[in-house]
Amino acid sequence: MRAKVGVYICECGPNIAEKVDIDGIIAGLSEFDGFGETELVVKKYGFLCSKSGREFLEEEIRNLGLTHLVIGACSPRDHDSTFKGVCGRTDLNPYLYRIINIREHCSWVIDDVEKATEKAESYLRGGIARVLRQSELFENPIDVNPDVLVIGGGVAGMQAALSLAAEDRRVSIVERSDRLGGRALELSGLSSGTFRGSDIAAGQVESVMGNPYIDVFLNTGVSSVIGFLGNFVIELLSDEDGATTEISSGAIIAATGCAVYDPSLSGSYNYSDRDDVYNPLEISRMLSSEGGVALRSGGRPENIALVHCAGRDELNYCSGICCGVMMKTALLLKESIPGVDITEFYRDICVPPHEGRQLYESVLEAGVDLVRVESAGLSGTTVSFREKSGVEDQRSFDMVVTAPALIPSPDTADIALLLGIPLDDTGFFQEAHRMTDPSGTTTDGVFIAGTSQGPRGILDSMRFARASAGLILTRLIIGEKLVPEVAVSEILEAYCTGCGNCLEVCVYGAIYSDGSKGVSVVNEAICRGCGNCFGSCPSGALRTKHFTNTQLYREVDEALR
Amino acid sequence: MNKEFVPRITSFLCKWCSYTGADLAGTSRLQYSASIIPIQVMCSSRVDPVFLLKAYLSGSDGVLLGGCHPGDCHYETGNYHTRRRFAIVREVFESLGLESDRLRLSWISASEGPKFARIANEFTEEIRLLGENPTRKSIFL
Repeated sequence: MRAKVGVYICECGPNIAEKVDIDGIIAGLSEFDGFGETELVVKKYGFLCSKSGREFLEEEIRNLGLTHLVIGACSPRDHDSTFKGVCGRTDLNPYLYRIINIREHCSWVIDDVEKATEKAESYLRGGIARVLRQSELFENPIDVNPDVLVIGGGVAGMQAALSLAAEDRRVSIVERSDRLGGRALELSGLSSGTFRGSDIAAGQVESVMGNPYIDVFLNTGVSSVIGFLGNFVIELLSDEDGATTEISSGAIIAATGCAVYDPSLSGSYNYSDRDDVYNPLEISRMLSSEGGVALRSGGRPENIALVHCAGRDELNYCSGICCGVMMKTALLLKESIPGVDITEFYRDICVPPHEGRQLYESVLEAGVDLVRVESAGLSGTTVSFREKSGVEDQRSFDMVVTAPALIPSPDTADIALLLGIPLDDTGFFQEAHRMTDPSGTTTDGVFIAGTSQGPRGILDSMRFARASAGLILTRLIIGEKLVPEVAVSEILEAYCTGCGNCLEVCVYGAIYSDGSKGVSVVNEAICRGCGNCFGSCPSGALRTKHFTNTQLYREVDEALR
Repeated sequence: MNKEFVPRITSFLCKWCSYTGADLAGTSRLQYSASIIPIQVMCSSRVDPVFLLKAYLSGSDGVLLGGCHPGDCHYETGNYHTRRRFAIVREVFESLGLESDRLRLSWISASEGPKFARIANEFTEEIRLLGENPTRKSIFL
């Protein structure tokens, strides 16, 4: 069949019409004979994206029997989907259409009408050449499972589960330990004022246990995960009896929490179990116990040193929440032990803006001695330190509280491997994009929350959990199908040598090796169509649908003609 | 050559950063040379080294490749691959006796409209000094 390409140039009001000689382009393209047998229909319209513009296009496609469509208009970011929708309402396959951005790239950036017009015309010629090489593609909507698996039953995991259950989603929580609540429950001694983290956690546990939409698996780990967004199959392994359970879900939230660094591993903190050196979690336990805070020998401490930043040099990051925890600890110790002297050795104060400022002022008011140091070390309960001024000194205390860094929990790396998500350079789960996608991961359908993605407090953990839950609610809609990316990579078996280069460059794990055939294969459900694999293929076996070499070459040739 | 030489620069721009940066140059009405012929790619790593060669041999006076800043790649690590491949292409260009200065790799983020315009002008000026693509008039390959 002879191709008939409809080329429609949008005036975009004055935006394109004033700076590009549209009539000149129409005349130029109509006379152009470089496309052989292909018939071109070239027209202009005021606003193609308007309702009347869309209807005009639909009629043109139907009445003229267009085989391809090229729109000369704005950025694809603005109206690519609009015109795809126009095709969708006709018999024209949306993959036989192309938008050429002559507004952002010509009329708005080139003052000289002649030059802008010349560029727009060659740009459009390139687009026509390319669209002629495009092929029909068909979207295959797939059924999705709206249920969610949450790994980790701490505040983040429970918050995510509760937010999802509130929208009628079935959620399974898998928890490695024998109880829900995570670290927040251990903080009851440090909870004070209106915000009591441990009370929030306890309340969540109660809500989760009573929620008919939430199943809880305690003493259980995850042993295998297969599938993709909308369709995961997960095998759970009970730590108690080794029994496995298979569950399916459409999305996974990893909220596996964190661990606490052991300062004695760093060279500068020398102490043993016999010394009165504790971390804030241990102080929390003492504060909530009957005996209160006491020395190992039995008496009450008369003076206590709080040493910030344990592990910061070794791990090379600031955990960001310890300063706040230490200040709270100082205030609670002051309250609990009348007359106790407290000295805090800190490097920088790192606290969130509002609550942090209040805490800091309360600490000053309570008469805590704040000493700014460049470095500090321990020998038992003796603190040696170098002040900012360069003065070195050491002082002995009855008791020392360190602020160890938060580190990834021990099974973070294993879980990451199972889920196919990377770790960042500090060993926590890495988000898909720090700014644009802080709750997603490189595996579509796997989300992260809480301290498994980096040190943070209870409130922030819950915020990120809500974000992940929200993303799932908007991506996996009950009763709606999911349309996987169509413009994905494919590997031609005949050319593939099975070298595996593409497996290595694919961060999504969308390519696997078919050992029996000795070739690599793309899992189209996982592929995002970035095309990185293409450049890694030495044998020319890779293709990207909707972006083939021929398409590109024709576009370049024609645009440069 | 009485007519002013307007170089033609085939520009492969990644959808997430550089193309959006170019869009921003447009919405900001920044004026830059008409030399740039934009081609959107999903990721700068989609640009096979052969594309650069092809664009050059098809008559581009310059070839620009724009990607996200290191660490900002929408696909995590694509631009690191791009960087390595680009270095190799330049070497190959040199060894073929072609002018590798006609190739340029730039990191332009979605918020860097002014940078896009500046690079477009800068590169155009560089290419103007180099003159027309010498393979355009000769039979090559």
